[in-house]
Amino acid sequence: MNLAKLKPGQKGKITSIGSIGPLKRRLMDMGVLVGEDVKVLKVAPMGDPIEVSIKSYNLSLRKKEAEGIAVEVAG
Amino acid sequence: MSNTQLKYKDDEQAAGGTPAVARTITVAVAGNPNSGKSTLINAIAGTRLHVGNWAGVTVEKKEALFEFGGRKIRLVDLPGTYSLSPYSQEEIVARDYLVHERPDLIVNVVDATNLERNLYLTVQIMELGIPVVMALNIYDEAQEKGYRIDVKGIEEMLGVAVVPTSATKKTGLDELLKRVLDVADAGAGRAPRKLSYGEDVETAADYVAEALERNYPSLLERYPKRWLLLKIMEQDGQVLEKVNLPDQGFLEEALHHLKRAHGEDIESIMADVRYSLASGLTREILEKPELRQTELTEKIDRIVLNRFLGIPIFMAAMWLLFKLTFDLSAPFGEWIGAMTDGPFKRWASAILTPLGAPDWTVSLVNDGVIAGVGSVLVFVPVIFAMMFFITFLEGSGYMARAAFVMDRTMHSIGLHGKSFIPMLLGFGCNVPGIYATRTLENPKDKVLTALLVPLMSCGARLPVYVLFVGIFFPNNSSTVIWSLYIMGILLAVLMGLVFKRTLFRGEAPMFIMELPPYRMPSFSSLCVHTWEKGKHFLFKAGTYIFAVSVLVWFLLNLPWGVEHKRDSYLGQAGAAVAPIFEPVGFGTWEAASSLITGVIAKEIVVGTMGEIYAPKHGEEKKEIPTLQEDLKEVVTSFGEASVKAVKTLLYLPQPEEKEEDRGGLKLAIQGAFTPLTSYAFMVFVLLYMPCVVAIAAMRQEFGTWKWAGVGLLYQTALAWGAALIVYQGGRLLGLGG
Ligand SMILES: Nc1nc2c(ncn2[C@@H]2O[C@H](COP(=O)(O)OP(=O)(O)OP(=O)(O)O)[C@@H](O)[C@H]2O)c(=O)[nH]1
Ligand SMILES: [Mg+2]
Repeated sequence: MNLAKLKPGQKGKITSIGSIGPLKRRLMDMGVLVGEDVKVLKVAPMGDPIEVSIKSYNLSLRKKEAEGIAVEVAG
Repeated sequence: MSNTQLKYKDDEQAAGGTPAVARTITVAVAGNPNSGKSTLINAIAGTRLHVGNWAGVTVEKKEALFEFGGRKIRLVDLPGTYSLSPYSQEEIVARDYLVHERPDLIVNVVDATNLERNLYLTVQIMELGIPVVMALNIYDEAQEKGYRIDVKGIEEMLGVAVVPTSATKKTGLDELLKRVLDVADAGAGRAPRKLSYGEDVETAADYVAEALERNYPSLLERYPKRWLLLKIMEQDGQVLEKVNLPDQGFLEEALHHLKRAHGEDIESIMADVRYSLASGLTREILEKPELRQTELTEKIDRIVLNRFLGIPIFMAAMWLLFKLTFDLSAPFGEWIGAMTDGPFKRWASAILTPLGAPDWTVSLVNDGVIAGVGSVLVFVPVIFAMMFFITFLEGSGYMARAAFVMDRTMHSIGLHGKSFIPMLLGFGCNVPGIYATRTLENPKDKVLTALLVPLMSCGARLPVYVLFVGIFFPNNSSTVIWSLYIMGILLAVLMGLVFKRTLFRGEAPMFIMELPPYRMPSFSSLCVHTWEKGKHFLFKAGTYIFAVSVLVWFLLNLPWGVEHKRDSYLGQAGAAVAPIFEPVGFGTWEAASSLITGVIAKEIVVGTMGEIYAPKHGEEKKEIPTLQEDLKEVVTSFGEASVKAVKTLLYLPQPEEKEEDRGGLKLAIQGAFTPLTSYAFMVFVLLYMPCVVAIAAMRQEFGTWKWAGVGLLYQTALAWGAALIVYQGGRLLGLGG
């Protein structure tokens, strides 16, 4: 399971972050880390990007990057 | 910092030079994007730095000098960063300042509603070894949410002074400044505590420290020690390049064990270590209420970011914006127009003639300056109204949403949603739009975005639209103007596609952006920032539009004594260029000359037309009102304009207007254009080359004329092509010539 596949409203826990490109470090700086809880809030009108809530703020990223973030569905 | 600078500082201290009290204290204001740094400085120092509710408003270092408690303090506003390992240009500015310029003190602005992520940066700022005072900002919102924050707890755990503040409500500011002075006077003794990063990391750090001390002692003098150690361990590309270690063998050894133990890349290890400090701290000092209500932001987003409604809402919001802008400001514009046309000209003559001024001076003032500058001034209310709404969008948090909604579209042209923010800003004025491209991580995106920004219809183009739309499309004015803005966006998409296939091939960049909560900007801050955006249009009117008006008057009246304006220098130049515009529907010398002068600034198109079509001398009205009548007229008609604006806003019925002929300009334009050619003309004005200031901005941003040149050429070609399609297409459809 990966973050891109979660439906709006679904929550998950990040289990690993693959090599998702040069901005991996940036995502980590923004708190996207293994073990973190995420919740998908929205999918943009044209299907991409998505909005997630993490560490008590909201972040948007594209599905392509979200696919590299493995999650374990919770509830 | 260069060696020499460091020495200078040391010398000063050694010599006991200036007493501490007289010295200016330099305070860097650093923190996460959108944590309120610029707002805080504005509140403290009374500056008017650009603020907005999205990440990446401040893109360059700005300073504010002021006095507090008899001491001079220099506050340095830095662009926000998420960490001290920067990606984008503006983040590099922030980090370089902190590391190389070594301010006396850092005020770390922390968003109290988002502690964990903000403290992650705090942890890194503490590595710099510079005294830190924390402003726990946006404290008002945190309280509203029912957060309970143990301020003393943070102070104890980090060893830094912490002051809760609200930059918008202006609370806690004096306390913050007092603590800043205390800490500044305590000097190096108040350097923040060294936080332990765990045994594994610390062992490796010690190993690196020893190796550095042995082999490169001079490095440790030049940079903050702990920061340097950690950056070298993280293998920060920029830092490694700067310090240029010939032998990195020791680094491999130091990291070997660490990587073995944690099985990850060093960047992840360090991010984890720092975040666990931040999370641990947050757990200790923050108490959130059990029950969380659905927040306003979620409710608004449910509608604004709806899958089906998102894009229509964006379009509708823009349409509404033009409707309001136009309706509200039109009566005032008309008022200014009537004033410059009537009383001002009469007063000028009344003053100049008895002074024995020759006819030509009176004409220079009336037909040159007043007609030229006046024609532009008419549109100042429209421009201000537009800036007001843009300021509102910026402050509300909608900018980031627009980027989110538009990302998919932008992706298809090889850009990302964040590029949309410079474009939206471009609606106010293209120049800040061009500078705003600094927030983009990738240099290619920057150039491409900056090339597309001038297709966004800026405030200076509004006067042209308003003038023509008022004459030819009085009943659908906002829709016609809206169509021009939309056309700008669509053509930007099209040109983006073209550029992507030609000049800028390659991977599309990633898109990662924070969506801030919606906030209601206060009325006073709306006014201040509207003024900040709008004032340069006034300034332009008073300076180079004034100068160009005078120049145009001369060009229209030279060689001396020309019968027809057509035979003047400007007329001849216009006539020479006019054939180019024949196929696009406005091949007259008048249109051509206005477009030539409009290169300086697009509002000048209107100014020049005002002069060209100014009625000939001697055709003036019969009865000349007295000064008193004039003054009364000025005041009462302003009152009428206000009433009209309010009524429009409330959708109250307006009394039928008498069709009064308002001066020569409108009539003349009515004779020279048709609805179709006027639309083609507006399209041309929208698209043709950026004004000289925008070109200069591009030159400055990219350090070469190349991109400014590319922009100039492609836009002018595009403008001609689009006007051709509009005009010829319209004729084919039988819309008249
Ligand atoms: N409620 C509340 N809002 C605040 C406070 N301080 C700032 N804001 C709002 O937060 C938003 C961001 O403010 P800025 O001053 O532009 O933030 P910044 O830290 O300079 O941001 P960048 O320049 O992007 O790094 C604006 O909408 C402000 O009105 C505060 O104390 N309370
Ligand atoms: Mg700022």
